[in-house]
Amino acid sequence: MDPIRALKQIKQITTDYFTSAHMAKHNKKFIAYCNVFTPVEILYAMDMIPVYPENHAAILGARKMSPEVLPAAEAMGYSMDLCSYSRCDIGSIKTGVSPTWGLPKPDLLLVCNAQCGTLTKWFEVLGRMYHVPMVLIDVPHSGSGEQDPAAERYVRSQLEELVEIVQRVTGAPLDPDKLRETIRLSRKASDLWTRMLELGAMKPSPITVFDQFVSMFPIVSQRGTQAAVDFYGAMVEELEDRVARGVGALENERFRLFWDNLPIWPELRRLSDVLEKRGASVVTSIYTWAWGKLAVDESDPLADYTEQYLYTFNLHLARRIDLYSEMAKQYQLDGFLYHSNRSCKYISQDIPLLRAAVAEKTGVPGVILEADHNDPRLYTMELLERQIESFLDLLTAQKGTG
Amino acid sequence: MKTHDPWKRFQEVAESPWPFVRAWKKNTRRKIVGHLLPDVPEEIIHAAGALPVAIEGAGVPVRLSQNQIPGYSCSHSMGALELALSGELGDFDGMVIPYVCDTTRNLFHIWTHSFPWMTNEFLRLPKRIGHPKAKEYLRAEFARFFQSMAKLTGSDNGTEELAASVELYNRSRQALRRAYEMKLEHPAVWTSERVQTVFSASLRMPRDEHLVWMDDLPWNEPVQETGSRIPIYVRGKVWDPPHILDLLDNLGLLVVEDEIVTGYRAVAQDAVGDDPLEALVTRHVATTPYTGYHQDPEQMTAAFVDRVRASGAHGVIFLNPKFCEAAGFDTPDFRAALESAQIPTLVLETSSRGYSLGQLEVRLEAFREMLASDLP
Ligand code: SF4
Ligand code: SF4
Repeated sequence: MDPIRALKQIKQITTDYFTSAHMAKHNKKFIAYCNVFTPVEILYAMDMIPVYPENHAAILGARKMSPEVLPAAEAMGYSMDLCSYSRCDIGSIKTGVSPTWGLPKPDLLLVCNAQCGTLTKWFEVLGRMYHVPMVLIDVPHSGSGEQDPAAERYVRSQLEELVEIVQRVTGAPLDPDKLRETIRLSRKASDLWTRMLELGAMKPSPITVFDQFVSMFPIVSQRGTQAAVDFYGAMVEELEDRVARGVGALENERFRLFWDNLPIWPELRRLSDVLEKRGASVVTSIYTWAWGKLAVDESDPLADYTEQYLYTFNLHLARRIDLYSEMAKQYQLDGFLYHSNRSCKYISQDIPLLRAAVAEKTGVPGVILEADHNDPRLYTMELLERQIESFLDLLTAQKGTG
Repeated sequence: MKTHDPWKRFQEVAESPWPFVRAWKKNTRRKIVGHLLPDVPEEIIHAAGALPVAIEGAGVPVRLSQNQIPGYSCSHSMGALELALSGELGDFDGMVIPYVCDTTRNLFHIWTHSFPWMTNEFLRLPKRIGHPKAKEYLRAEFARFFQSMAKLTGSDNGTEELAASVELYNRSRQALRRAYEMKLEHPAVWTSERVQTVFSASLRMPRDEHLVWMDDLPWNEPVQETGSRIPIYVRGKVWDPPHILDLLDNLGLLVVEDEIVTGYRAVAQDAVGDDPLEALVTRHVATTPYTGYHQDPEQMTAAFVDRVRASGAHGVIFLNPKFCEAAGFDTPDFRAALESAQIPTLVLETSSRGYSLGQLEVRLEAFREMLASDLP
C-alpha cells in the first residue's frame, strides 16, 4: 500500500522543533522539560518551549540507538528494571549520543504524576544534574474515580503556583490573550488528532497504529502551535480522501487489531511487516488515544486541567475493561495485542486480568507480548513474531477463512 | 527464674499472624482491616473499632499471583496478592492500599477486581510531602478515611476515640523505641532479629495487648556483652529477605538506625497535639519521607547524608526491593553523595524470589571487612 504522503512532513517538523529548542536562549525563550499530562499551553504562552525527555528517548529507540546509551546509565547505577526511557535519557546525557544533538538544557522541570510515578523520580535525578527548579503537579489518584473536592483544590492550587514559578523563571507574567490563542491552537490540533484516530474505525481502516506512532511527534511536542494544526489538517484530509475512495492502509484487511500499551519502538518496521503480511491491520491503540482528549476550555483552563488530571486520565483496570470493550465494538476488532511492557509498570501490571475480563465481556481474544518499549535486550523478537503468528492462526481458524 | 522464652510469641505473630487474628475476630466479633505499608494511620482504623493488620508481601513464596500480575512487580505486591489468593486473608473485612507508587496504584485496582467482598480503600497520600497545600489535602484525606472506616465498622466513634487511639499508639511507639535502644546497648540479647519481631508483631495484633507482652521482655536482666560491632545505617522498604537481620547479627553489623517502614521509621515520631487528626498529619510529615515521596531533589540527598552522619553509622546498606522504581532512582545519587562524604555503601537489590542467602552473606561479609579495615 502507498504510504501516507503527509507523513513525509514529519522529518522537517521534527528538525524545525529541535532547532528552535536548541536556539531557545538565542531567541529569548526558555526550556521546560515535561511529560504528557502537563499544561503545555501555559508554557507556550509564557515563552517556554516544552521538551519531552520521553519523546527524545522514543526517537532513540525508534532509530535503534538505545543499545548505545542504555549501558552507560546502568554503569552509573541505574538498574535495568527502571523504565528504559529514563535509562536512555540518562545514558544519552552521559554519552552525548543522540539523534537530535541532545536536548537543550532545561530552565524548569515540570512533571504531573497523573501519568506515572516514575517520571517524578526520573526528573529528581535531572534536578540534581541541572540544578534548576522542579515542579511536581501532584495528583492524588482518585481511586475508582469518585469526586474528591479536596483533591480538586489541591491540584488547582498547584497549577496556580506553577504560573507564579514560570513567571519567576521567565521574568514575564502570563498574557491572557496569548494563552487564549495557544489554547485555541491546541484544541484544533487535538480535535484533528482525535478525528484521525476515529478514522481507524472505518472499514477498511485508512491508517494503522504504526502510521499513528510515526505521526505523533507534533501532538506530543507542539500542541499549541500552528505547525501541529497544519500537519494534522493535512493528515485528516488525506485519510478522509482514502475513506471516500474505500482505500485501506493494507491492501487486504483481513483482521482488525488493537495495540495495547506503548509501541516497541525499535521494532516498528518488523512488527508492521509481520502483521501486514497476514492482512492484520492494527487499527487503534490506547497509547495514541492518550493524546485524544487533551483540549482544554479557554474560559477556565485550570479547572479543565484539574478535571483531566484527576478524573479523565485515571485509567484503571475497571475503566480499561469498559473502554476496551466499547472500542472492540466501535472498531470492529478481531483481537487485542497486549504489550506487557516491563519498563512501564504503570500501564502493564493489570494486563493479565484485563485480557481475561475483556475476552469474557466481548468474546474478542488477546495475546500478551512480553517485551519492552525501548530496550531490545529485554525481549526476543523471534519469539514475539512466533506468538503473533500463532495468534493470527487462531483468529484465522475462528473466522473459518483459512 | 523465667522458664519461657519472652520473644517466642512475638515471633509467632510476626511469622504467621493469621490464626491469632482469626481468634481475635471470633472473640470480639469485630472487623479486621488489612493494610499495605507504608504510612497507613493505624490509629484511624483502631479508632473506628477494627483491628489494623499490616500485610507484608516480601518473603511470601509466590505461585497463584503470577497469573494475576506480571513477574516484574516487586515482592511486596506479589506476596500480598498471594496471601489473599491463597485464602489467608479470608477473615479480613477490609483492605487499605496506600498510594506510594504505580505498583500500589495498580494493585488497588487488581485487588478490588479480585476481592470484591472486601471493603477496599485507596489511601491517597500526597507526594509533595511538606508542601502546605499537601498538608491541607492530607488532613481532608485522613478525615475521609476515618469516615470510610467508621462506615465499615458501623461505629459512630469520633474525635475522642481517635485521641485515645493516638495516645495508645504513642505509648506503643515509646516502648518500641526503648526496645530499639536496648538493641543498641545490649545487642547480644536484644538482637536486631528479635527486636524486629517485636516491631513486626506490633503491626499485626492489638496494640494494648502488645504493650502488655512487651513488659515481659528482659528489660532488666544483666547482659554479658560479647565482641565489638560495627554501626551501620539501612535504607529500604522492609527487611527483605527476612533472614538478613540474622546475617547482620551474626556478622557483627549493628543497625543503629534504619528507614525501614516496619523498623525504626515506624516509631520515630509520635503524634502530638490536641487535635488528633492534625497530630497524625504532623506526624506523617515529620516522619522520614519514604522514597516514593517528592521533595526538592538536592535537599533530599543532602538531608539523607545528614541523617546518616547524625546516626554515627560507619556504612550504609541500601536494601532495594527488586523492581522498585522509587528506590532505584534515588540510589545512585544518594550513594555518590555518601561516598563523597567518605561513608562506604553497599547496594543490595533483593527479592525473596530468587535470592541466594549464601551470596548475600558473602557480600555482607565483604562489606564488613571493608568497614572493619577503615576503623581507627
Ligand atoms: S513508566 Fe511509562 S509512563 Fe512513565 S516514563 Fe516510563 S514509559 Fe513513560
Ligand atoms: S514502593 Fe517499591 S517496594 Fe513499595 S510497593 Fe512500590 S514498587 Fe513495591
